[in-house]
Amino acid sequence: MAGLTRTAGAFAVTPHKISVCILLQLYAPSAQMSLPFPFSSISQHNRLGLYLLSLTKSCDDIFEPKLEDLINQLREVGEDMDAWLTDHLTNRFSSLTSPDDLLNFFNDMRGILGSLDSGAAQDDQIILDPNSNLGMFVRRCILAFNLLSFEGVCHLFTSIEVYCREAHSSSAQYDESNDNLESLIQHDQMDMEKYIMDKATEEIELQKNASGRVPFHLHTPEALFKVTEGLLVTRKEKSRTNTKKAEATQLACASSSTVDDTLVDESLFLRTNYQIQGFLMEQADAIETHGSSLSSSSIESFLQKLQNLAPELHRVHFLRYLNKLHSDDYFAALENLLRYFDYSAGTEGFDLVLPSTGCSMYGRYEIALLCLGMMHFRFGHPNLALEVLTEAVRVSQQHSNDTCLAYTLAAMSNLLSEMGIASTTSVLGSSYSPVTSTASLLSVQQRVYILLKESLRRADTLKLRRLVASNHLAMAKFELMHVQRPLLSFGPKASVRHKTCPVSVCKEIRLGAHLLSDFSAESSTMTIDGSLSSVWLKDLQKPWGQPVFSQESGSRKSSTFFQFCDHLVSIPGSVSQIIGASYLLRATSWELYGSAPMARINTLVYATLFGDSSSSSDAELAYLKLIQHLALYKGYKDAFAALKIAEEKFLTVSKSKILLLKLQLLHEHALHRGNLKLAQRMCNELGGLASTTMGVDMELKVEASLREARTLLAAKQYSQAANVAHSLFCTCHKFNLQIEKASVLLLLAEIHKKSGNAVLGLPYALASISFCQSFNLDLLKASATLTLAELWLGLGSNHAKRALDLLHGAFPMILGHGGLELRARAYVFEANCYLSDPSFSVSTDFDTVLDSLRQASEELQALEYHELAAEAFYLMAMVYDKVGQLEEREEAATLFKKHITALENPQDEEPKNMA
Amino acid sequence: MVSKESCRNEIRAAIRQLSDRCLYSAAKWAGEQLVGIEQDPSNFTPSNTRFQRGSSSIRRRFSTISTPQPSAGFSQPPATPLPQEEDEVIDGDLYLLAKSYFDCREYRRASHVLRDQMSNKSLFLRCYALYLAGEKRKEEEMIELEGPLGKSDAINRELVSLERELSALKRTGAIDSFGLYLYGVVLKEKGNETLARASLVESVNSYPWNWSAWSELQSLCTSIEILNSLNLNSHWMKEFFLGSAYQELRMHSESLAKYEYLQGIFSFSNYIQAQTAKAQYSLREFDQVEIMFEDLLRNDPYRVEDMDLYSNVLYAKEACAALSYLAHKVFLTDKYRPESCCIVGNYYSLKGQHEKAVMYFRRALKLNKKYLSAWTLMGHEYVEMKNTSAAVDAYRRAVDVNPCDYRAWYGLGQAYEMMGMPFYALHYFRKSIFFLPNDSRLWIAMAKCYQSEQLHMLEEAIKCYKRAVNCGDTEGIALNQLAKLHQKLGRNEEAAFYFEKDLERMDAEGLEGPNMFEALVFLATHLKTNKKFDEAEVYCTRLLDYSGPEKEKAKSLLRGIRMAQTDFPSMDMEHFPL
Repeated sequence: MAGLTRTAGAFAVTPHKISVCILLQLYAPSAQMSLPFPFSSISQHNRLGLYLLSLTKSCDDIFEPKLEDLINQLREVGEDMDAWLTDHLTNRFSSLTSPDDLLNFFNDMRGILGSLDSGAAQDDQIILDPNSNLGMFVRRCILAFNLLSFEGVCHLFTSIEVYCREAHSSSAQYDESNDNLESLIQHDQMDMEKYIMDKATEEIELQKNASGRVPFHLHTPEALFKVTEGLLVTRKEKSRTNTKKAEATQLACASSSTVDDTLVDESLFLRTNYQIQGFLMEQADAIETHGSSLSSSSIESFLQKLQNLAPELHRVHFLRYLNKLHSDDYFAALENLLRYFDYSAGTEGFDLVLPSTGCSMYGRYEIALLCLGMMHFRFGHPNLALEVLTEAVRVSQQHSNDTCLAYTLAAMSNLLSEMGIASTTSVLGSSYSPVTSTASLLSVQQRVYILLKESLRRADTLKLRRLVASNHLAMAKFELMHVQRPLLSFGPKASVRHKTCPVSVCKEIRLGAHLLSDFSAESSTMTIDGSLSSVWLKDLQKPWGQPVFSQESGSRKSSTFFQFCDHLVSIPGSVSQIIGASYLLRATSWELYGSAPMARINTLVYATLFGDSSSSSDAELAYLKLIQHLALYKGYKDAFAALKIAEEKFLTVSKSKILLLKLQLLHEHALHRGNLKLAQRMCNELGGLASTTMGVDMELKVEASLREARTLLAAKQYSQAANVAHSLFCTCHKFNLQIEKASVLLLLAEIHKKSGNAVLGLPYALASISFCQSFNLDLLKASATLTLAELWLGLGSNHAKRALDLLHGAFPMILGHGGLELRARAYVFEANCYLSDPSFSVSTDFDTVLDSLRQASEELQALEYHELAAEAFYLMAMVYDKVGQLEEREEAATLFKKHITALENPQDEEPKNMA
Repeated sequence: MVSKESCRNEIRAAIRQLSDRCLYSAAKWAGEQLVGIEQDPSNFTPSNTRFQRGSSSIRRRFSTISTPQPSAGFSQPPATPLPQEEDEVIDGDLYLLAKSYFDCREYRRASHVLRDQMSNKSLFLRCYALYLAGEKRKEEEMIELEGPLGKSDAINRELVSLERELSALKRTGAIDSFGLYLYGVVLKEKGNETLARASLVESVNSYPWNWSAWSELQSLCTSIEILNSLNLNSHWMKEFFLGSAYQELRMHSESLAKYEYLQGIFSFSNYIQAQTAKAQYSLREFDQVEIMFEDLLRNDPYRVEDMDLYSNVLYAKEACAALSYLAHKVFLTDKYRPESCCIVGNYYSLKGQHEKAVMYFRRALKLNKKYLSAWTLMGHEYVEMKNTSAAVDAYRRAVDVNPCDYRAWYGLGQAYEMMGMPFYALHYFRKSIFFLPNDSRLWIAMAKCYQSEQLHMLEEAIKCYKRAVNCGDTEGIALNQLAKLHQKLGRNEEAAFYFEKDLERMDAEGLEGPNMFEALVFLATHLKTNKKFDEAEVYCTRLLDYSGPEKEKAKSLLRGIRMAQTDFPSMDMEHFPL
């Protein structure tokens, strides 16, 4: 593939290549010796050979090392003869005093090549096989040089000067050769004038570097360093700091030389289009992975420079769009997106992704629409986005771009399911697309379902594996959240299976994860020259690097399978992202179904295996889940500690959910400790995070009002709480948020229970249970059952038996998967039941009661749930009193008092955890 | 009031000084203005009159309307004194040699000759020659280095040393106004716009006659705020500057006022006339512009500058013969000017030979990559050739050269609309309207977009048409469309209102046609259903004047009206079961 895409003119002679040639001359001098002069052993000779091999391999890389870096590397490779090597190199350079010397140099280079029919080579002669890698390199260099016009030779000559000058301007060690060069120059009377002027400019440049007025060596590389380093860090283990640093600096220096256009512009030799595309692709990945934690301005300045260098490279605009998108700059993002598609008609860069559709003469404006739609979606303009995507559907049908159509439909379904557009104004109806026009009559869910099915079908026939996988995931999500209903529910045969089906969710998730095995078939079309060759360099440096950096050879062995994939098979980030997403979805589904351990395991799998390649928002989600888990099962202390770590990591991510989580945790904590004022404040802040637009941020809005109702409930303002909950239920119904409905119903039952209106609460609890059943929300069902049991008990102590039976039915689920609070509540309630059961005698069976109370009190203390803890200790004290264990009774009583006082003065210990 | 005589003296001295320093284009400009001043009747010589515009000039007809009485303005502070030439003798010989090298375009040689000369004049010439040498080398390198990605990062490599030297001179205060001008140019090239502006302001304040400095300064004034923040001494040159700056900032009437004012002194200046024509062109006064250009060409037949504008006017008036004549003439004068290529392109475009037109626009762009109108015109050609993506590309380049070019934004919108992406196109129309909110054509284009089958956003379309009407829709599309849209939406009252207005307009312009019938029929029917029989009858009788099906319709309507009027109660009779 590489041979096909690269044009002949793309291989340009650069000073760096000349250095490699010089070294090659040393490696294989034309003199007939088995071991050339400076080498003391065969292994030393071979090491240089390996090094040269890696250098020639990396010649297609976007950055070329500077002379200084090359010399540093040589020092490590050459061991005791490094001085000789570098001396030779610099001397050879300084002997190039006129263009004619260059001509002679390349003539000499011919000598080290063997003849093409080199069958008759003598044994002790080192001759480069012209067909070997090194031989090919030399031949390419010679060819490229011969193709140069005289102007080209002159440019090469001047760039060699800059290349050398940089090296000794930055390291004093080479002053000697510097003088050498200059003395040689001074002899050359013909060009005296020119060199004086050159010297003057050189001085100016030096002065500038020193004074830092043009921040060349000091600042720019630093910014770039961060970028490149960031690129590397994600893909490598932390333990490999040594090489990582070395490589990063190398890249950074090289990039600074590439990018800085004021000083070393002549040493710039732009790589092939494909290399730059590949490089930009990597950058785009980096932007996505790091979100806005990458400084947007440093990328911006980098792009600006790249654009100056290659004005016809329009993909820069796209990258700038991505960058602006991630730094939430709507206008700039829009502007750059439009500019990109105006210039390239969508044909530049995307051809790597969509090989199937040939280049149509109309350009690929449907992709522009798709991108625009997704951009509007991201910035929270669902109606605009829908309008644009509808147009995208139309245009891609018009141009019969099925690939784009499949993607658009997927994006549309995603939009609809995320935004929950309430009003059934037939936005889609205005389109004449057969898919959407039938859909206009249907509810949003059904539309989402149809769109997904349609997209999946198309993606399947077009073999777009990534899209198939992500559609499967979306489907799984859909099935998880929505009750299966026949689309047209009339007629006698309409099946009425009003349930979500965990089997099908699981099936979809598995289908989504199949992507990895499918991938090998597609990989050949995906590899990008540029990124691949830079991977080449990194990999090739390992074999010779290992003996040099021996101290870290042990740690590298721990590299995981996925890292291995990353480098050699080079699974693109997008694939591992989708697979990672499948794990996250698994975790979420288990969370809903109510299996805490499974949810936790899946999240952990995600965080450990995919954390590096995932986008920052996904990684953040994983952390969020883990922290929530901690809060539920380990208490707040641990959760807040973990939150602190996550905050440092993710706070820069735009639309960070960390803040949300923090508010949630603080609210929960405040409620438990009875600090209602704080709870109310947190609740309000939570509501403030949501956008004011209708239908946007629904999840957040529901969450906020749910919490508001709970706060009101805790403040014993029952009617207000009930009002809020009622209106919340209406909203949920309107936006079809079924799962939330179940929890709202449960909340209503709770409110009635607390207000002492058990009879009113019963239907709510029952409704909630039936909702939970149809969505397979086992844990929520268990907690609804608990509430139901509590309600029964509230009806009178003669129902204690029934309540106890209900509770015992739910116990396995509660104890196996429930959080601290739920378990404690169950225990306390159990004790309550026993105590109020007239047929239960405390004096004989007091251990059963005390056992559960003790359990409850431990868990409640971890939660700092003062109210319930006080109740538990109160009951304990009563039981001890009955049994006559006075000492224990006193102990329980003091603890009871402690909790009661803490509940009454919540402000005492408040700001401990507030960051 | 500055007397013409003092102006003349100032300019005469300035031309000498400018050409001494090899600032030829500034000297040229000054020369044009010098001849533009009305001749002193006292030293009238027959040879002079030849260059003066004769009284037969057609321009007079227009200029009489606008010539102001400039007695009021021009409260001139003591005029900036002309600097005296100091060092004529000292470095005279070397300077003369250097200048002749310079004139032969051997810039490096010129600067080398002056390497040890310390006088201001030599210093400037040395730096200026060095700068030009760098520019020349840059251009060459641009061609040498051009790669597949359009890389053109060649830079003037003298800039660094020049900036260093000039800033040092500035710090010691040993820099004259010409040096400041060069310093400003260097700074601008290096991207330091604020400093460049400051330096140029200083230069023009101390030596206002250097038009090159003014125009550099003008190119740095990208917004009215910047322009107003400049601290400029008042001088008549400032008026020229303001005129051209206003024009760039699309404040055409302000710019016209400035030029009218200047015409009081420089009543025969070609420059002012061309600039006035430019402003008028932007105000779409094509007839007037054509006359002005004809006049201009008569006096200055070998002029190429601004002639592309003239060709645009001829294009708009579809004057094929005149356009071909102009193209021929300009081509004979200098075929390697972007303007000439653009004119030929316009000619071929008018003839419908779009491929050839594109070729010539391309040539113009090869000569000047930032030639805005060629990009836009090329976009138009591609649209004609139905090569929309190429059109989009060309328009986008125009927009990137100058983001205020409403034509290119409009073109982009049009191209996308052609591709069936009306929603996407809307953004571009909005952009174009932002820069020219008072053009009804843009509003109508946007309304059509909303009205399109795919979007069908009629309410928005109505809003746009309303704006178009408010902007004085010349083509009369908006009223008719408004009426029809309202009719479609079942708002008969509004529809009747707009039909009536449209009818008034057509009456005023003496137009007839299907739109008229439609309006009449609708109004008659509408008024009849509203029981305003008298008015309905008026419209019906108007319809009777025309033949065709409308006449029959009118007759039946009239019959209905009569019936309704004569036996009113019978209306309800139908409803009774008989």
